[in-house]
Amino acid sequence: MARSKPSSSKKQPKRGVDFKKIKRKIGRKLPPPKNATNTEIKSKAIILPEQSVASERAGLAVSKKGLTLKELLQQTSHHNAKVRRDALTGIRDLVLKYPAELTLHKLAIIEKLRERISDEDKVVRETLYQLLKLVIFPALKKDVPGSLISLMMAYIFNGMTHLATDIRLMAFKFFDLVVQHYPSSFFMYAEKVLQNYEDILRKNHIYLQDRSKLKNALVGLVRCLSLLPCNRRTVDPSYGKNTETQGSLHAYELEVPKEHTDFSSIIKRLEDILPILVNCFQDFIPLVHPMSSLDAQSFDCMLYLLRSIDLSVKFFLYGIDKHQTDFGVTKPTYNEKDMPVWGEIATPVFLRKFLEVFPLNQLHNTSGKDEDKFFILNIEITEIFLHSNEWIFTSAILMERFLEFIENLLSGKIRFNSRSGKALQEKHLTSLLPFIPRLVSLVANTWKSRLLQAFTMAFKDCKPESTLNLAFLSAIEEMLLPSKRQGILLLDASEPEILDHQITWIRELPVLLVRLGDTLSSLSKVILHLLLRLGQYAPMNSSLAWEYDIMQHTLGEFYSMCLDDGSILYGPFMKLPKDCQELSVCCLYYFSSLDSLLLRSLVYCCLCDNLEPSVLFRIIDVLHSAYKIGHLQLVDLISFFVTLVARWKVLPGRLYTHVENAKKISNRETFKAITGAVCSCLRQMGDDALIFQIVQRVILDEIPLNPPIDNLCGMLRLLVILDSRPTKLSEQSIIILSNSISEYLIDAASYIPENGDEVTDSNQISICQYYLVPCFFLFDRSDKLLNLVLDLMGSSIGEDNSSLACNHDTQHTLDLSSRIVAVVSILLYMHQDIKIRRRLSSCKGEITRILQKMRLQSSNEMGNTLEERHKIQFSFDRLKIAAGQLNCWDADELKIISLFE
Amino acid sequence: MEVVIASSPVDAGIGCWDLHSGAEQLRYRSCTSTPHGLACVGQRFLVSSQLRDSSSSSGTILYWSWNKPQVEVKSFPAEPIHPLISNSDGTYIIGGGSSGAIYFWEVASGRLLKRWHAHYRAATCLFLSDDESLLVSGAEDGCIRVWSLFMVFDDIGMEMAKHPYEYSFSEHTLRVTDVVSGYGGCNAIIVSASEDRTCKVWSLSRGKLLRSIDFPSIIDAVALDPGEHVFYAGARDGKIYIAALNAESTPSNIYGKHIIGSLSDNSKGVTCLAFSMDGILLVSGSEDGTIRVWDAKTRNIVRIFRLAKGPINNVLVVRRPLYSNFQTSANSHASLSRRHVPLLPPPLSKYVNSTDEIVDSGAITVPQTPSSDIMDAPYLSSHVLTKQISELQQQSSAATGMEVDRLKLDCKRSLEMVQKWKEMFADLHKFCVDELLGNDQTQTQ
Repeated sequence: MARSKPSSSKKQPKRGVDFKKIKRKIGRKLPPPKNATNTEIKSKAIILPEQSVASERAGLAVSKKGLTLKELLQQTSHHNAKVRRDALTGIRDLVLKYPAELTLHKLAIIEKLRERISDEDKVVRETLYQLLKLVIFPALKKDVPGSLISLMMAYIFNGMTHLATDIRLMAFKFFDLVVQHYPSSFFMYAEKVLQNYEDILRKNHIYLQDRSKLKNALVGLVRCLSLLPCNRRTVDPSYGKNTETQGSLHAYELEVPKEHTDFSSIIKRLEDILPILVNCFQDFIPLVHPMSSLDAQSFDCMLYLLRSIDLSVKFFLYGIDKHQTDFGVTKPTYNEKDMPVWGEIATPVFLRKFLEVFPLNQLHNTSGKDEDKFFILNIEITEIFLHSNEWIFTSAILMERFLEFIENLLSGKIRFNSRSGKALQEKHLTSLLPFIPRLVSLVANTWKSRLLQAFTMAFKDCKPESTLNLAFLSAIEEMLLPSKRQGILLLDASEPEILDHQITWIRELPVLLVRLGDTLSSLSKVILHLLLRLGQYAPMNSSLAWEYDIMQHTLGEFYSMCLDDGSILYGPFMKLPKDCQELSVCCLYYFSSLDSLLLRSLVYCCLCDNLEPSVLFRIIDVLHSAYKIGHLQLVDLISFFVTLVARWKVLPGRLYTHVENAKKISNRETFKAITGAVCSCLRQMGDDALIFQIVQRVILDEIPLNPPIDNLCGMLRLLVILDSRPTKLSEQSIIILSNSISEYLIDAASYIPENGDEVTDSNQISICQYYLVPCFFLFDRSDKLLNLVLDLMGSSIGEDNSSLACNHDTQHTLDLSSRIVAVVSILLYMHQDIKIRRRLSSCKGEITRILQKMRLQSSNEMGNTLEERHKIQFSFDRLKIAAGQLNCWDADELKIISLFE
Repeated sequence: MEVVIASSPVDAGIGCWDLHSGAEQLRYRSCTSTPHGLACVGQRFLVSSQLRDSSSSSGTILYWSWNKPQVEVKSFPAEPIHPLISNSDGTYIIGGGSSGAIYFWEVASGRLLKRWHAHYRAATCLFLSDDESLLVSGAEDGCIRVWSLFMVFDDIGMEMAKHPYEYSFSEHTLRVTDVVSGYGGCNAIIVSASEDRTCKVWSLSRGKLLRSIDFPSIIDAVALDPGEHVFYAGARDGKIYIAALNAESTPSNIYGKHIIGSLSDNSKGVTCLAFSMDGILLVSGSEDGTIRVWDAKTRNIVRIFRLAKGPINNVLVVRRPLYSNFQTSANSHASLSRRHVPLLPPPLSKYVNSTDEIVDSGAITVPQTPSSDIMDAPYLSSHVLTKQISELQQQSSAATGMEVDRLKLDCKRSLEMVQKWKEMFADLHKFCVDELLGNDQTQTQ
């Protein structure tokens, strides 16, 4: 630069000044040329049609740090562990904020995340675990993506065979997580997974020095094994199976068997694992030393080991059972050659050795907490023992030890010390109780009685609301009744001691039922089912059947109880759901002679408004059936029926067409249906004459109590149905009946349509007929009754108001004029009926008397308003015309009547 | 001739009507039948178990032949028999006792072949599947059991099996009133009715409940439509309900799910149902003593018969051989011969006989069909068989004797041969030795 300067200065003087040199300073902006176009664009805003996705993220789902999903996923494979971890937490934030992102990109996310399963960094793995556990799996639960699982599994298996122990263990944890959320995935990879478990457990000295790690691995194993099928001894018998779903009967079934059928590979693996587990457990035995106390980690490990052993034993058993049932019933059962598949040969040896350790130290008294731990372990071992009992021949000494333990457990000699112990104990007892029946049937006699003793005591002490009851009940059912599958009795009831226990259980059942009330209807249902089965299956004339019969005394309380002051205390029956009610009603059928006390408490229930009509009809049905096979006395049944008809409360209500009275209508209809049901039962009983005598006697006892009109009507119907023509009613009963019928008719008259010509409500006519027809039948069959009734009606008109005032019955409070109107309308109604008209013509004397009375009343001015007198006069005329139509008046009598006018 | 026969628990005899003409036939006297206690044995005669007061411990079973109104044979089983059925050939009679036992008699000899404890309570109904291999029994305790008749007679198999029955259904809570089975042998469905107001449909092949139908009243009788599209259920309220078996029923039924209609004549309770042979006419017996014949297709009453005032509890439709013809023509000579040869088999025995007696008689006694009166003697195949066996044994012993003789001869001959060979060998040996020695001697010499 320095050199060029002089040269330029040299040149310049040579030239002439052709061009004016413009001197410019460096760094100075040129002024724009004069002819320059102004290219400057000015605008207030720039609007672009679209934005770049990569750069602009204002509208995108971003994590807290402002990173998008794509970036986060890229960062998960960053070489820096910290970045990777941050990315994972970022994904977590993002997914929590925008759940839609996850469902959209689940495949991409999983594909990227799975690479982190075998990440070297512990923290990263842990974060991934949390991410999957808390966010991703719960969110994806709905649509189970099979492809996703297989995506993950490849990396999980990779992790399981990784050299680093930590990664290996973590892979098991991941698998556990997958199984937790998608249990079916276990069966797809069972063989491989079990092999991996086997490997790691075999080398547990190397890898699993740390107890917590072992524990983690075992938790997963337990979970996997619990998915294996086993013989579920369900505590709750599945009574109410739903069969309604079946559409057509002959259709081809499309469902494929759901069970995974190919278990042979799993069996082989399990056979390998089982000895390893046993070995593992035996490694822990030295820890159970008198001096040292058991730390929590080892305890957990031991517990999980035991659980896995238990589960695999159960699985083997299931296999054996299935194998047997597959080959039909006729095949001899224990044929060893047929089933080497199910791991029978290898396992017992290990198990026998393992069971030898059984009573885990009981000798010394360590602290309470430890004792509990040993207790739990012992229970677990016992469970394994009981499971395997069926196919392992055990030595007598060992057997003794176990039995003693079970007995102590039942009788509560061993207890938990800690506070939560009670619940724990119940839980463990429920798992042991299902074995008791089989155990009792197999062991020697001395043990049998000891076990039964303990069992009975425990059952008696059990609180009604306890969950243990279900287990107890199913055990009792098994010991009382012939089993459903085999049809043989487990226990021999002829031994007095066993019988004693059985009787104790049976006696306890109704008590339990009453104490339960309506709090646990499911449990009540189970009890009722047991009672029903007992009634059905107890051998005839045995002591069990006898005991069942005795039970009805205590069962009365279940329905209702009459207290000393006459009020009624309803039992749990009224509040239980309908299926329970029906079950309990069915139980009644099997009592070989139904007690009248029980019937009484039953009738109180029937009369209660709250009882559903269908249950009521069921009771009528069942009692009638019980009568048919001779379980019920005729007199008892009839008095039950009559009481029902006489006392059942029909809600009063006259306006039938009104909407708000819909309930009342149904009520009356129900009563009609009850009467109908009772009638048909009475007619089917056989000898009508005899039954009529009994019914008549019972009804005559009821009638003086002045039952409401509906009930009276029902009773009259019962009589009419059984009666024949001429009537079989006795003199005395006719007199009693006539009394009530005359009042009944006056009441019923209010339902007679006002004017025969008018088209009135058909409903009302039918009601009117419903009330009057039974009377007409009676009149038709007995002239005497008709005479008496007419007489009484006549005299009721003639009576003074004052004399009636003392009688506060509703019937009598009708004022005189309306009574007269009622009587007349009844007579007219009777007149319309051809049969009764013939009858009426023979009692002209009574009608004349009525006419005279009316004449008298209409002329009697005191106490009657003009309107009333008019009413009476009108009725009088109507009756007179009708009487004239009867053609029975001779000239003299007509004259007498007209004299009054 | 297709006839309807009906009986009643009160003594009204057994009524018999021609189904198609409606003409009443002979009425058989003095019968008070139990529910399901009337059967026709192989179209040859009628049999009915009788109601008796509980005082007498034994029951009664009566026989009537077609052409005589009087009871011909009386038997007294060990306990009252309630339901009674016979197989279609009339070889066996099966009865259910009040203790829950089932009795199995052979008709021709009257022997009680088997008695087994089937239920905990009295049996109420029995039904044979259409191939007559399975017996379905219902009882008062609500239990229905399916028995294989092969298994029942297989003592060894019974001991081996876990339970003697094929299936035991205990879903009914009260007395089972009727059971019928469809076509298809062991693959059929069975329909049962109970006093718990339900009818249940079961599968015999799978042994499980297929459907449970609630009715408005107790069902006392069930009859299956021959096409098994529907079944008819006679209820105590006097209606015969029609319940669908196949189709998905429309929800707007007035009676309840699966019930598609009813036949009703305002009668008292329907106690029994039977289908005619052609499957069109449905015969129902009612509490009011009448028997109604319905056309199942049009749902109308075709005919009404009247038996008595009392209830009816059994109705059967059976084919009756035309005896009237036979009677008139053969009366003159047949009546004499029949006096010697009783037409009906001997009464049923009370107890299972000892075994040695069974060995004596044949294994199976085929009943006489009415048409084959010529073959008077029953064909006892087992005798022939035993004879053949013994003959065979004798024959075989003779044959072996001959064989032994022949073998002995052979043996002797071979021994002689051996002797001959031995001699030849000795000669040869001697010759050889002589030869060798001779050579030596010549050399030495």
